[in-house]
Amino acid sequence: MPLRGIRTSTAARNGAGAFILQCKRLDFHYCNWAGSSKGMVAFLEKTLPTFARENPQIEIRVSPRPQKHPLIKGLYINGREKPVCVRNMEPHEILKKANLLKEASGEKLKRVKKPITSLNESVRGIWSPYHGDLRGV
Amino acid sequence: MFSRSALRSLASELRWTAPSTISSAAPLQQRACLHQSASLMNAQQPQSQSTSSHPESPLSATPRAQDTQPENVKASTFDENTMTPQTRAHVPIAKQPVAPTFTSPLKVTKSVMSQLPHLVGQKPHYVVAQLHARPYLLTEGDHIRLPFLMPKVKAGDILRFNRASALGSRDFTMKGSPTIDERIYECRVRVTGVDSEPLRIKEKTKRRQRHVKQAKSKHRYTLMRVMDVRVKTPDELLAEGAVVVEDSADSSVIEPRS
Repeated sequence: MPLRGIRTSTAARNGAGAFILQCKRLDFHYCNWAGSSKGMVAFLEKTLPTFARENPQIEIRVSPRPQKHPLIKGLYINGREKPVCVRNMEPHEILKKANLLKEASGEKLKRVKKPITSLNESVRGIWSPYHGDLRGV
Repeated sequence: MFSRSALRSLASELRWTAPSTISSAAPLQQRACLHQSASLMNAQQPQSQSTSSHPESPLSATPRAQDTQPENVKASTFDENTMTPQTRAHVPIAKQPVAPTFTSPLKVTKSVMSQLPHLVGQKPHYVVAQLHARPYLLTEGDHIRLPFLMPKVKAGDILRFNRASALGSRDFTMKGSPTIDERIYECRVRVTGVDSEPLRIKEKTKRRQRHVKQAKSKHRYTLMRVMDVRVKTPDELLAEGAVVVEDSADSSVIEPRS
């Protein structure tokens, strides 16, 4: 008997019914000594508590990374991750980057030309020359 | 000057008398339930009890709120200054989305009224929604990546597209002139996030110059998902106060497929 793959019964359409934010974790890395982490340390002390409270669905981890530039890393439901270096940035700039990672879909960046992607079949069906009336030109 | 509790009770009564209330059995404490007024009433109850001496009076117009559980600890301990709103109950009344107000009742022509059951009964439906004068042909569950970044929206927000030039099923199409009245259909869209394109580098050169300038661009786009595309039945329209009028030249028409 040939091996059969498992058929998917439904297609994932996040947001059509329930909505789940794609970002599941944000890692904040900083260095206590380096000057490029100055803004990051201020951000961690002042802004991060409110940011974490506003987004209870995102797990937030803070860990030191000595002798390196500060970094925010976003982890997504699709398994991908997105790191953003935030060296020499002010706290409000870092908040912007954190919001960017929060709202991102986690997909690889692609150039898309068509605005709509649909899994549904065409509503009006495919045109056939053998059906329907003849129409005057 | 009114007190806050008086204003709030007034607004809640207005909200309950509005025809477009969407009821649900289990209010979730998420942004997803922006349209659920039941959670609003839950959260208002402890607040109004603490501020007004007669707690029963503002709730008299809302019998359904008393059926659900009256205690809602999370919403009552909500501080406006430090937290962002999670449900509509957390948003101040002044900042809540305003339901559209119409000066005249919906006018439906006789021909549309007679053809509408055919259109409603034949699923699925599509809608050609106009956004910044561009058409988007949408069906339920479609993924949209707008060619621009929509301002002032967050992931999880629900929008309602109310400019449609056409609305149809397999065999019937309703054409607007130029748009269909938004009270005939419902097209809700959920904002799912913001996407970005890969960095584009364009090399700019000038004649007889060795220098090459690199112009960089990296645009951001809003992602959306169509939640539903629904056409209302004639009974629903009449229940909402639609008026049947005679046909005229500049009214929407439903055309069968030829």
